[in-house]
Amino acid sequence: MSNVNAVSFTILVVLFAIVTVCGFAAARWRRAEDMMHLNEWGLGGRGFGTFISWFLLGGDLYTAYTFIAVPALVYAVGSAGFFALSYTIMVFPIVFVFAPRLWSIARVHNYVTPADFVRGRYGSSGLGLAVAVTGILATMPYIALQLVGIESVLIVMGVGGSSSNTFVNDLPLIIAFIILAAYTYLAGLRAPAMIAFIKDTLVYVTVIVAIFYIPAKLGGWGHIFSVADAHLKTTNPKTGKPFGSLVPTPAGYWAYATLALGSALALFMYPHAITGVFAAKRRDVIRRNMAILPAYSLVLGLIALFGYMALATPGVSQIVKSHASNTQLSVPAMFQQMFPSWFAGIGYSAIVIGALVPAAIMSIAAANLFTRNIYKEYFRPNADPAEQTRVARWTSLVVKLGALIFVLSFSKTFSINLQLLGGVWILQTFPAIVAGLYTRWFHRWALIIGWAVAMVYGTVEAYRTPGNGQLHFGSSTAPILGHIIYIAIAAFVLNLVITIVLTLIFRAVKLPAGVDETQPTQYSADPEGAPAATVPTPAGTGAP
Amino acid sequence: MAQSTPPGKSPATWVAVTILLLIGIFGTLWVPIYARTTPMWGDFPFFYWYQLIWVPVVAVLSYICYLLLRTKPASRPGVSPPPSGGDAK
Repeated sequence: MSNVNAVSFTILVVLFAIVTVCGFAAARWRRAEDMMHLNEWGLGGRGFGTFISWFLLGGDLYTAYTFIAVPALVYAVGSAGFFALSYTIMVFPIVFVFAPRLWSIARVHNYVTPADFVRGRYGSSGLGLAVAVTGILATMPYIALQLVGIESVLIVMGVGGSSSNTFVNDLPLIIAFIILAAYTYLAGLRAPAMIAFIKDTLVYVTVIVAIFYIPAKLGGWGHIFSVADAHLKTTNPKTGKPFGSLVPTPAGYWAYATLALGSALALFMYPHAITGVFAAKRRDVIRRNMAILPAYSLVLGLIALFGYMALATPGVSQIVKSHASNTQLSVPAMFQQMFPSWFAGIGYSAIVIGALVPAAIMSIAAANLFTRNIYKEYFRPNADPAEQTRVARWTSLVVKLGALIFVLSFSKTFSINLQLLGGVWILQTFPAIVAGLYTRWFHRWALIIGWAVAMVYGTVEAYRTPGNGQLHFGSSTAPILGHIIYIAIAAFVLNLVITIVLTLIFRAVKLPAGVDETQPTQYSADPEGAPAATVPTPAGTGAP
Repeated sequence: MAQSTPPGKSPATWVAVTILLLIGIFGTLWVPIYARTTPMWGDFPFFYWYQLIWVPVVAVLSYICYLLLRTKPASRPGVSPPPSGGDAK
């Protein structure tokens, strides 16, 4: 740790300390009478207006992995990595359609998780369990990847990583995570909601400065694009093909479009995204946010361009190569090479704090799922709100600890592989959740079987895909029916086909369809006033 | 809360919203229309500035849809001021 830049390091520590204070103080923010209720701990009182929701959702959806992995992909393969921009462009029109209905039905029935809705809609705790398990499975590696993002900043800073003692190496990461776990335990969703303000300010400042300052120092965008173009045209010794291209080639069109569409459909199936939606105060807050959240997409597009800026920055490629060609170091390395050390410290903080907000929300969302759809459903049907909140708090600790152990004991590649699988898995809950918002036509058992087959197919297909120097899980795209497409989309189509065919059969033989506890008008309801916490839960007591 | 579930938007409104949102999605879903270098904008190849332009375009489309579907702001004083300052009537 001898060559740590004292200025950068101090700034990171100070900003981290400020965030910690805010995290603990958040427990008193917008305080409710009864904090021992999942509507409070797990959903921040269900009372966030447009402004806070914007920060919360933005802080929630744009993770450290986005800030690190998207530019890393652009750095490595060029234009193909820009699917992320296309994805964040189309996600908001898609979500605009169904999120208000999901919010309304959740508010009327006091649902805390998407699995609560599926269970109530189809009268099937099994389908609810499938949605809950998928959500938890997909979220765990996502949390782990937040840690990987923090790690890449620490490596570039020279903090840890050089000692022969692994515990010392990982100590900064462990401390950061223990503090995060503590204030999440205490304040619940209020903590990340409050920290999101600091996170987003840091991110916006860093991105705006970088996008003007670095190109000016490097000799302009013309120079950056021509350096990137020249590099991408050279042959990658590993594959014998060019590294990539400045504009997608026809062979890559399908991959680009299906990755963008699949990721956009999947994003709001993730429990942490739905948690952000459920925390909104009014139905209009959600639609209004779909019009203002694209501000973050613009930031993401600019961050993606960091990949090219890093290619044109002298010294970055040496740093990346000296760490086993870990392209995820490219952006922190560019900050180090181009910024004065105090501003590099701001940039590092943006990435590190940018990881804490989503990690907190993800652990809360996973904890809500476990508590509502596994613990209460199968172990303690009579658990009162206070007991549920206690269980969720402890679960959030366990989830974070699990992610920490995971990152420290397995290779980074393994986390990234699982994250890739997470995207494939979570999309398979789309039919049950989104179709369920519009129609009860689909049969619950058809949905379960379609989900199960697609989960297995997607996992096997991802396992069979070599690439990137690995035999398995080499890529999220695979050649299917003559085109290179995103595995999640292939599995999703299979899921839909099976579900439709089986629904026709099950309805023909009149298999029991289950009891629907929702009513059509409730999907456009806009109840106002006190969040359901003060009302004796009407829906939770529905079925034993 | 006399009327908390007003489905009363005309079919024409829903058609308009559907079309606007589909435009927003297909603008970048159809890759061949923008996978090209020219025309350049400054130093930016078409592929890049086209997508960056779509971000505000989609924001505007979503905002129009929001206005089209917005229910009349509940006339409760003090809770949240209606954004457009539109006093009913």
